[in-house]
Amino acid sequence: MTDSEQNSSTTAPVVACQGVQRIYQQDTVPVYALRGADLTINAGEFVSLAGPSGSGKSTLLNVIGGLDGFDAGSVVVGGVDLGGLNAAELAEMRLRNVGFVFQAYNLIPVLTARENVEFILQLQGTPNQERRERADAALQRLGLGDLGDRRPGELSGGQQQRVAIARAIVTEPVLLLADEPTANLDSKTTEELLGLLRDLNPQQGMTIVTATHDPIVMGYTSRQVAMLDGEIHQDSASAD
Amino acid sequence: MFSSSFISTLAMLFNFSLRNIVRYRRRNFFLFAAIAVAVGGTTLSNALIRGWQVDMLETAVSGLTGHIKLQAPGFADDPSLQNAFSSLTPISLGDNVPILGFAQRINIPAVISSERETRGVALVGVDPANEGISLYRDFVIEGEDLGGPEDGRLLIGRALAETLQTRVGRRVVVIMEGADGKSRERGYRIAGVFDAPMKISEELLVFTGLEAMQAALGNTQLRTPITELSLVLQAEEDRGVAQRELAAQHPQLVVKDWREMQPQVAEIVDLVDATMAIWFFLIMSALTFGLVNTLIATVMQRTRELGMLRALGMNQRLLLIQVVMECVGIMVVGVIAGLLLGIAMVFGLGDGIDLSAFSESVEAFGMSTVLKPVLTLEDLLLFGGLSVLVGVFASYFPARRALKISPLMAMSR
Ligand SMILES: Nc1ncnc2c1ncn2[C@@H]1O[C@H](COP(=O)(O)OP(=O)(O)O)[C@@H](O)[C@H]1O
Ligand SMILES: [Mg+2]
Repeated sequence: MTDSEQNSSTTAPVVACQGVQRIYQQDTVPVYALRGADLTINAGEFVSLAGPSGSGKSTLLNVIGGLDGFDAGSVVVGGVDLGGLNAAELAEMRLRNVGFVFQAYNLIPVLTARENVEFILQLQGTPNQERRERADAALQRLGLGDLGDRRPGELSGGQQQRVAIARAIVTEPVLLLADEPTANLDSKTTEELLGLLRDLNPQQGMTIVTATHDPIVMGYTSRQVAMLDGEIHQDSASAD
Repeated sequence: MFSSSFISTLAMLFNFSLRNIVRYRRRNFFLFAAIAVAVGGTTLSNALIRGWQVDMLETAVSGLTGHIKLQAPGFADDPSLQNAFSSLTPISLGDNVPILGFAQRINIPAVISSERETRGVALVGVDPANEGISLYRDFVIEGEDLGGPEDGRLLIGRALAETLQTRVGRRVVVIMEGADGKSRERGYRIAGVFDAPMKISEELLVFTGLEAMQAALGNTQLRTPITELSLVLQAEEDRGVAQRELAAQHPQLVVKDWREMQPQVAEIVDLVDATMAIWFFLIMSALTFGLVNTLIATVMQRTRELGMLRALGMNQRLLLIQVVMECVGIMVVGVIAGLLLGIAMVFGLGDGIDLSAFSESVEAFGMSTVLKPVLTLEDLLLFGGLSVLVGVFASYFPARRALKISPLMAMSR
């Protein structure tokens, strides 16, 4: 936490990882997914996390988002030290502070686009009227104003991923984590989606971290971080 | 805990569960059908078993037994007028034990002879007006009914009339033991011949007027001697209270309830309850097996989706509630459909199943020849309620599986 005070910005960083290790046990053989990753992300940054497959991008996102634990180091998100939280507290933290967008769109198939977005507000205990308004506003912002009543199966891949983003941002999280969100989309749809994400970024002051190995994606981000073998290999913020 | 937002979350989960049920409609349809057929079939078979039980109980009670019978202590060993007691009218048990009716009788062994045949029977002196509580009320009489307690003619069963090769209007001779312990022989005219629900009653029971019989048997020290008082209550459950009270009121008499007088019937009635419980248990075990399998398959198929819900921050408690709702939802709809099916089948049977083709073996079980299903609200509610409880129990297994799903599984490919 002394690190955050040394930072140039007046506010505390949204993400502060130090020496994070994550070791998986695969058939008694340890697999080092993260071998001491250090990463600090400030409010409003749009960060791409690049690197070859298996370099630990997903693992790092999952650890930051409180989906996965870690074996050494410290992870502080929005001022909260994740190392001290139990499963229920982590769930609550994800619900309140983090928005997720996954590679596979991961919408609930039996719910309409609007209901998918409302679902998470419902979990937060938002009253009915407000829930509906906020869900519609989020869909509107992602250009889905007319498609709220459709189910995921009736939407294209790009549209589904936009619903997923609407769901992720509707709670106004401090941090939006996206793991290869465009991997299943063509380049035109990818550019549309990234344009929307980039607009969200200054509009809402939302901090976004996206794992990718697509150069198009990196071109849209304000900071590019590259990973290799479970460590931060290059960082445009420190290279400058 | 039950804040309005929690309730609205439950409503959302309920909606979600319903749609999931529809989503896997093909698989769930078979499950529904299995539950509905099992519950419907069990409802029908329970109604028939219950009908059998009620019929046996009624037959037992509406013989000459009643719910409760009072006799002199020596009568069981020596069923004669030596062991008579004096008429007990009026009889009262207070307002909280309502009585349907009671009948006082002389009921002693006798021998009846026509010109052709001789048979041992029970000669029963009755007041026909009081016999609305016994099988007497179901008699279909050819000729005339007894006119009253002073009527000195006989009413005999169809089967006995055929054996004796006699008929209405003819005379028969009856030999019985008089009040003085000596045999008396007396000629009687046959007023009527009755058809009873059970052949055995037609063979064994011979009725005459109570007062006429008292006169025929001669004087005892008693002014109005009777050998039994049979009592029917409005509610069978009251029999314990009634028995205790009557025993206290008449310490010189033996007071027995129908279970003591007809122990085999009582045993079968109890056996029926046990049978229904076992039947329910078997059917429900089979259903639980199917339910658990299907629901576990559904949960496993949705591992990724459920993992995603966890990733988004849905807590385990809500996930559990959702899975349980889905199980119970399937069960409730299936059970309701099954109960309706069962009720429809029971009404389809209408007047019951005619068992007269098997009349002899049927009567051996103390049943009448038509099996009427009996559907009680208690049975339906109990069965429905227990089924839903089984649904909750069954949901434990898929729920446990669902709780093992970690949020990371949303990402697994
Ligand atoms: N649940 C797991 N069990 C075992 N090994 C895993 C698990 N998740 C990831 N790994 C391993 O950790 C390393 C990093 O994986 P990941 O973070 O998914 O990389 P990336 O997203 O950059 O492709 C890989 O070697 C991968 O095989
Ligand atoms: Mg990955």
